[in-house]
Amino acid sequence: MFSPQAKAKVLIIEDDRKLAEALKSGIEAAGYDVFSASSAEEGFFLIHSLQPDLLLLDLTLPHRNGLDILRQIRSEGVDVRVLILTSHNTEEDRVEGLNSGADDYLGKPFSFPELVARIRALLRRVLPAVSAGPLKVGDLTLDTRTRTVFRSGVRLELTAREFDLLLYLIENRGRTVSREMLATDVWRETSRFTPIDNVIDVQIARLRKKIDDPYPVKLLQTIRGLGFSLQEPQT
Amino acid sequence: MKSWRPKNVRTRLTLWYVSILAVILVLYVALVFTFQYTLLARQIYHDEIQDVETVEGLLYFDQDGTLRLQQNYHSHPPSHLLIDRLMEVRDEAGMVLYRSDTLRGQALGASPLRHEGEGGFNERIVKLSDGTKVSLISHVHSMQGRTVLIRLGYSMSPLYDRMRQFLALLFIALPVALLMAGFAGYNIAKRALRPLEHMAARAEQITAHSLHDRLEIQNPDDELGYMARVFNQLLQRLDEAFAQLKRFTADAAHELRTPLASLRTVGEIALQEAVEPEDYREAIGSILEETSRLNQTIEGLLLLARAEASRPARKEQLIFLPELVDEILALLGVLIEEKNLSVVEDREGLQDRSVRADRSLVRVALMNVLHNAVKFSPVNSVLTVICTVAQGFEDFAEISVQDQGPGLALEEHKLVFDRFFTSSRKETAFGSGTGLGLSIAKLAVERSNGQIFFDETVTRGARCVIHLPLDSIEPHALG
Repeated sequence: MFSPQAKAKVLIIEDDRKLAEALKSGIEAAGYDVFSASSAEEGFFLIHSLQPDLLLLDLTLPHRNGLDILRQIRSEGVDVRVLILTSHNTEEDRVEGLNSGADDYLGKPFSFPELVARIRALLRRVLPAVSAGPLKVGDLTLDTRTRTVFRSGVRLELTAREFDLLLYLIENRGRTVSREMLATDVWRETSRFTPIDNVIDVQIARLRKKIDDPYPVKLLQTIRGLGFSLQEPQT
Repeated sequence: MKSWRPKNVRTRLTLWYVSILAVILVLYVALVFTFQYTLLARQIYHDEIQDVETVEGLLYFDQDGTLRLQQNYHSHPPSHLLIDRLMEVRDEAGMVLYRSDTLRGQALGASPLRHEGEGGFNERIVKLSDGTKVSLISHVHSMQGRTVLIRLGYSMSPLYDRMRQFLALLFIALPVALLMAGFAGYNIAKRALRPLEHMAARAEQITAHSLHDRLEIQNPDDELGYMARVFNQLLQRLDEAFAQLKRFTADAAHELRTPLASLRTVGEIALQEAVEPEDYREAIGSILEETSRLNQTIEGLLLLARAEASRPARKEQLIFLPELVDEILALLGVLIEEKNLSVVEDREGLQDRSVRADRSLVRVALMNVLHNAVKFSPVNSVLTVICTVAQGFEDFAEISVQDQGPGLALEEHKLVFDRFFTSSRKETAFGSGTGLGLSIAKLAVERSNGQIFFDETVTRGARCVIHLPLDSIEPHALG
């Protein structure tokens, strides 16, 4: 399909031009070739002419329901990953979307880091094997087998939740992780209306106290309005 | 072809009523007619038998051997029937010995049957040659050493005439009666249904803006009064729901407008002056935080609206409350540790009993209540969570969550469950969330057939109490 050198092609079918523009530049910055269509007809044409690897599909398009497009391309057997973006975000909508042949579903408004993470996950053909060796960021190392964490050679005592949180951050090192992502992937909280953000913030603060506070180089960054990122400081 | 169906109820009622009455009357006429006919026919038969006996005494053979009837008796007839008497006497060979003048020469019946008139009277109806129908009886009689067969009958024509008149009378009376009954029925139905018309006219004028109008109740005890009452209760509920919706829409608009205003201001200020990239970052971050809060408010509102609008088949299951409380406390664990709260749990009162409810609903409710308690607890204080059987409501489990926070002002105990309620008191204002948490908790508990309230007797801190229905299989009920 695509070699590591060639960029994967992403097609956005979204009638809100402002959102489409923002998504285009954001996803391009994440390293993909991005095209956009603002109507179902244009989208169809581009699906067949460009043969994108991934389709970001808005469900409420003028004249035509996004699900129709999805069903049609599935019945034509077009090989493309489909991520639905929609403001209709009830459980039934999600089930219907996935049953119609979508690979993933994201409700509006979504966090951009989460969107990029999902795109990356969908385009990753082979899941990377759980690395045998310890994961590293700077002088922080995490061993999934023994569930131990070291910083500068000193072993850190982390609670189970702190370990899971750090593992998730370290797996996504160098990228931004939103609160929504943490809520679903680390806390496994499906209900969107829970006081979980509060819990996440406190948990991050406690983790930071253990892995960063005693050390001069700070690895865990808070990106205001976006989320958190674990990365080596730029020199 | 579609059968015609009258539009209004009173016409339909009247038609039904008249049809049923007609059927009953026709049946009644048929019955009366048959009864009357049988009665009269039997009377004729009876008269004939008596007459035969009379005649037997009056018959004699004169010296010529001719059969004669004593005429002196005939001149004093005891009844008009004697004048109408038709009689024929035959000998054993079937020869006619006597024929009354009334027959005017016609034969009364055909040639004799075997054993005719021997055992009984062979009652039958025969037709004369001029077409007259005759009720005929026969009798064998021995006189002066000879055996004769007496046939005696009366014409049925008078009876038939009388029955015809009777029937005609009945059938003339029938439509008149039906017409009268129909007219009366129509008017009664109209009168009875008149309150309905009033109600309909009144109801037509009620719109979304005049939901406070009520239907007039004329007689509260009858069926229509009952209907009007039920209808008024419906209006009452609609009125309340509508008022709530209006208030809610206004609140929601306000709640959404405030963060929008801050979004706008932050954005405008950032663009107004040429500032450092770091300041832009700051502004955009602040905007994103605000959108996230906005989104949370919308999620909360949608959750409430959905839960209110639909009553889906609840996925009820058995929940052991202490376990659920532990799960939530574990989730909120870091917040509790951060404030160094001691959590006191008492679950003895509940023994092993479970509640029956939708787990996700109860979880949402408990989560919001516990989070609220944690949020308002001062540092180093005690949070008490008690699971027990509700006192006075033995079918309910009770969970109470008590904090040592600022508590509620007296008039706030009910208001806290209102949407977007935030306390006016200074000490509670800092931790304000979306203002929907307790509304959601209340809705979730009520959807689970439970109750939620703040204990008004508690003055230090706040004590939130939730009642949830216990599973009906009670351990002590088995013993």
